[in-house]
Amino acid sequence: MGKSYRLYKIERKIIPYLFLTPNLLIFGIFVIIPALYGVIYSFTNFDGLSKMDFIGLKNYINILHDHLFWQSFLRTTIYAIVVVPLIYIGALGTALLLTQKIAFRGIFRAIIYWPTMVSFIVVGLIWKWIFGDSFGVLNYLIELMGYKPIPWLSNGFNANMTVVIASLWSRIGFYMVIFIAALESIPATYYEAAEIDGASSVQRFFKITLPLLKPTSLLIIILSLIDAFKAFPLILALTGGGPGRDTTYVVQHIYEFAFTKTKMGYASAMSIILFFVIAILTWLQFKAARGGEIS
Amino acid sequence: MKYRKNLKKLLVYLLLIIISGLFLIPVLWIVLSSLKTPTDLYKWPPSLFPKEITFVNFETAFKKGNFGVYFYNTTVVTILSTIITLIINTMAGYALAKYKFYGSNLILIGFLSTLMIPLEIIMIPIFIVIRTLGLYNSLWGIIIPPAATPTGVFLIRQYLLGVPDELLEAARIDGASEWRLFWNIIVPIAKPVISVLAIFSFMWRWNDFLWPLIVISDPQKYTIQLAISNFIGEFNVDWPSLIAMSVISMIPVLIVFLIFQKQLVKGIVTSGLKE
Amino acid sequence: MLKSRKVLYIILSVLLIFTLIMGGCSSTKSGSNSSSSNAPSETAKKVKLDFVWFTDGVEGKVMKEIIADYQKEHPNVEINLIEVPYDDLEAKLKTMITGGKPPALARVTNPGAFASAALELTPYLGDKDTFMSQFLDGLKYYCIVDNRLIAAPMEVTANGLIYNKTLFDKAGVKVPQSPDEVWTWDEFAAAIKKVMKDGGAKYGVVWDFTPHRWTTLLYEFGGSIFNQDATDTNINKPEAIEALNYFKKLVDEDVVAKAVWLGGENPNNLFRSGTAAAHLSGSWMIANYRDTIKNFEWGVTYLPKAKIRSSVLGAKFVMAFKNSGVEKEAGEFIKYLASKEIDDKYVRESLFLSPRKNPDVTYDFGTEMFKVFSNELAVSPPAASYDWSRQDIIPKFTSDLKAAVVEVLQGKKTAKEALDHVAELAREAIKEAQQNK
Repeated sequence: MGKSYRLYKIERKIIPYLFLTPNLLIFGIFVIIPALYGVIYSFTNFDGLSKMDFIGLKNYINILHDHLFWQSFLRTTIYAIVVVPLIYIGALGTALLLTQKIAFRGIFRAIIYWPTMVSFIVVGLIWKWIFGDSFGVLNYLIELMGYKPIPWLSNGFNANMTVVIASLWSRIGFYMVIFIAALESIPATYYEAAEIDGASSVQRFFKITLPLLKPTSLLIIILSLIDAFKAFPLILALTGGGPGRDTTYVVQHIYEFAFTKTKMGYASAMSIILFFVIAILTWLQFKAARGGEIS
Repeated sequence: MKYRKNLKKLLVYLLLIIISGLFLIPVLWIVLSSLKTPTDLYKWPPSLFPKEITFVNFETAFKKGNFGVYFYNTTVVTILSTIITLIINTMAGYALAKYKFYGSNLILIGFLSTLMIPLEIIMIPIFIVIRTLGLYNSLWGIIIPPAATPTGVFLIRQYLLGVPDELLEAARIDGASEWRLFWNIIVPIAKPVISVLAIFSFMWRWNDFLWPLIVISDPQKYTIQLAISNFIGEFNVDWPSLIAMSVISMIPVLIVFLIFQKQLVKGIVTSGLKE
Repeated sequence: MLKSRKVLYIILSVLLIFTLIMGGCSSTKSGSNSSSSNAPSETAKKVKLDFVWFTDGVEGKVMKEIIADYQKEHPNVEINLIEVPYDDLEAKLKTMITGGKPPALARVTNPGAFASAALELTPYLGDKDTFMSQFLDGLKYYCIVDNRLIAAPMEVTANGLIYNKTLFDKAGVKVPQSPDEVWTWDEFAAAIKKVMKDGGAKYGVVWDFTPHRWTTLLYEFGGSIFNQDATDTNINKPEAIEALNYFKKLVDEDVVAKAVWLGGENPNNLFRSGTAAAHLSGSWMIANYRDTIKNFEWGVTYLPKAKIRSSVLGAKFVMAFKNSGVEKEAGEFIKYLASKEIDDKYVRESLFLSPRKNPDVTYDFGTEMFKVFSNELAVSPPAASYDWSRQDIIPKFTSDLKAAVVEVLQGKKTAKEALDHVAELAREAIKEAQQNK
C-alpha cells in the first residue's frame, strides 16, 4: 500500500463529507436557508407583505391556546395512525405479488403505480365522482339496488374514511415500487436454503423477508408518516376540509393562516412546531430501529 | 402438488386482477372523460364510457396555450434535474449508509424533518435566494434547487445498508480509491434503487408545480403543470381542458415507469452478495 | 465491461458540468437583458411590463387582444401576461413584491390587501373622486384606501339566481319577469319544491359554498357584517341570526341542496348536469354556462326578497405596484384599460358587468340577463359592497364564518352560539386592523 495509514484515516474521515457536499449544498442554499427565515418569521407578526415586527414568543404562546390547531393536529395524528399501517401493508402486499414470476408483471406494476402520478386536483375530482353524496357513482349504484344512499362526504366520519381510501389509492403504488426493489435484492439463495430446510412460505416470509426488509420498512414508515402529516392538497380537492372542519388537517390549518388570514408569522410558528414533532418522531424510530441496520 | 401450484397461480392472478381493477377504474374514468364532450362530462346519471368519442377537449386545450413549448421546457427540466438528483442523492445516500461519521444521523433526520415545513410558507425567502443567485426566470432555477431531495437520499441510504461492509473493505485492500469504490462497486449494486429514484424523480419534476410557480414568470418558460393549473379560475375550473391536458401529461411518466421498472428484477450483481 | 461503463459515466459527468456552465452563462445573459429593459426608458428602448393575471373564462383571450392593440400603438412597451391559477395569485404576488421584484401590474379582487405596495394612480387617472364618480358607488371603498387611489375597476359581479328553465317549464312554474313580481323567500321555496316534485329536479337550489354568497341572505334580512365604518361587527345581531336560521330551514327542507354545503360538491357541475332547479351564484357564470350547457335551457331571474332585496357586489381591478421600475408605463396602461371605450370592449367580449354607472353595453348574448343583475346591484344596500371591500379585516374570519354556518346546518351549534363566536373573531380582526393604522 502506497499511502500511509494516517493519511488513509484522514481521507476516510473527510470522504463522507465530500460525498455529501453537493446534496447538502443545494439543499442548504435553497431550502435550509429559507427555512431559517421561516424560523425568524415565527417570532414576528409578518403578514407576508410589509408588516414585520418582532413579537417574541407570542405566536407560540397563542398556538398553545389555539384549540382549532390542536383539534386539526389530533385529527391528523389519527389519520396518520390509520393510514400508515394500511399503506405499509398494501404496498408490501402488492409488492410481494408483483415480484413473483407472472405474465404482464410490468403492466400490473404500472397500473398500481399510475394513481401516484395523477395530480391532486384530478384525484379530488375522481373521488368526488365516486363518493359524491348525490352526484357520485357509488350512491347511484346503491340507489339502483334500492338502498338508501350513504352520506359519504357530508358525514364527518365517512368523509375521513373517504380521505383514507383516496390516500391509499394514490400512495400505495409509490411505496410498492420501493418494496419491489428491496424484495428483488434479497438473494435467492436464502430462500433456497430455507426451502431445503422445509420452511413454509409463511415461515420464510417472517424469518427471511421481513428481517431483511428492516431498512426499507423504516424508510416507508417514516416517509408515509411525513406524507400523512403533510396530507393537504388531496383533501382540499376532495372534501375541502369539510363537512365543517371535520377533515381539516393540520397543514390546511397552517395554510389558512398563512394565506387567507395573512398571518404568515403565526403560520411559520405552527410549521416550526410541526418540524419538531416530525424530527422527534423520526429520531425515535431511528433509535428503535437502530437506523434500520440489519442486525 | 402440481395441482396445488396451479391453483395458487390462479389465485394470484385473480387477486391481481381485482386489485388492479380497483386501482385502474378511477384513472380509467379520467382517461375516458377526456374523450367525452363537455356536456357529456357533467351528465347525470354518471357513466364510465363516453357517449361518443371526441378529441375536442384536446383541441381546445392545445389552443389555450403554447403547449409544445411547455412540453419542451418540462422535458428539459425533468431530464437534467433527474440526472443531478441521481448523482448527488446516490453520493449522499452512500455516505450516510457506509461511513460512520459525526452527525450522520442528525443530518439525515434534519433533511427529512425539513420536508415537513410547507414550501409555501417559505416561498418568499426561497424567491429571494433564487433572485440573488440570478436563477429567477431561468429553467436552471427549477432544475437545480429541487434536485437535492431528502427522500431520494433516504431511499438510497436504506438500500445500501444491505451491502456488506466486507465487500468494500476487500476492494480497499486491493487499493481502490474511495471514488472508484463508489463508481465501480456501489453504483452497479445500487442500480435497482437508482432506477426507483429515477422513476420517482422523473415524476416529481414532471409534476412539480410549486418550484415553477416561484421561479418562473415568463410564459415562454412555463412548464406543463404551471400551464394546466391556469385552467383554475376564481369561479370556474375549465375541467374539460384540465382533464385533457392532465391525461396527456401522464403519458411520459408512465412510459418512463415502464422502462425503468424492468430494472427491478433480481440482478446478477446482487444475488450472492450477502454471504 | 466495468471500464466502458466508467467511460460512459465520465462522459456523462463532463457533459453535465458543461451544460451547467453553459446554462449558467445563458441565464446570466438573459438576466442582464431583462434588467437593462427594466432600466428607465428612453423612447427607443423597449420596456417590459409584467402583468400578473388569472383567467376564469374568455377574458384572458380578450385581454391579450387589448394588449396587442396597445403594443401596436406603443411600440416601446411589451406587456408580459403572467397567468397563474386564482388560488395561488395572492401567494405569487406577495412573493414577487416582498421578494423585491414586484410586477408592474396585476389583476386582483382585493386591492386593499396590497395597499402598502400599491402605486398611487392619481397622476395617471386624475383626481380620485372625479375618477371614481363614473363607477358604481360601492367600488370607491375598494379603490381608495387610506386616501390613495390604488386600483381601477375593470368589471363588477353581482350575486344572483340562475335557474333551469327546462325544469321550471316542465313544472309549470313561472319566474318573476320584472322587479315588481319578485318572490318572497317562502314563495320561492314553494316554487322550488314544485319544480322538484313536478319538474323532476333532483336538487333544489345549489348555493355556492362561500361566505360571500351566503351573505346575500344576510343583507336581505337587514343584517350586515360590519357597522358603518367597520369599527364593530353586526354579525351576531338578531337580523343575522334570523338569516342563518332561515338558511338552515331552507337546507333542512332540501330547498337548498345539502350536497354543496355539507357534501362539498361542486355547484357548477351539479347545475350543468341539469338536475338542479336553480343555482345561487352570480353574473360571472353567464359566459361559462353559455359555453358548457347544451342540453337544457337556462335563464336568470330576480333573487327572492326578505325584508329588502339585495345582491352582493364583487369586482375585479387592475393595480400597479411601487418599485417595479416601470411605474410610469404601468400607470399609463391602466389609464388605457380604465377608459370607457376599452373597458366597454373588455366587458362586452368577456360577458362581464360593466363597473360604470348606467352602463350602455350591449352584449352578443344575454343582454336581458345582465339587466337583471344590474337591477339587483342597484337595489342592494351600501353594506353589501362596503363590508367586502374591507379586505384588511374580512379575510381574517370568513373561513370561520363559513365553518360556523356549516356547524349550524349540522346541528352542532345554534345560530346564536355560532355567530357569537364569529363576532368574537371579527372584533379581534377589527382591533388588529386599527392597530396597524
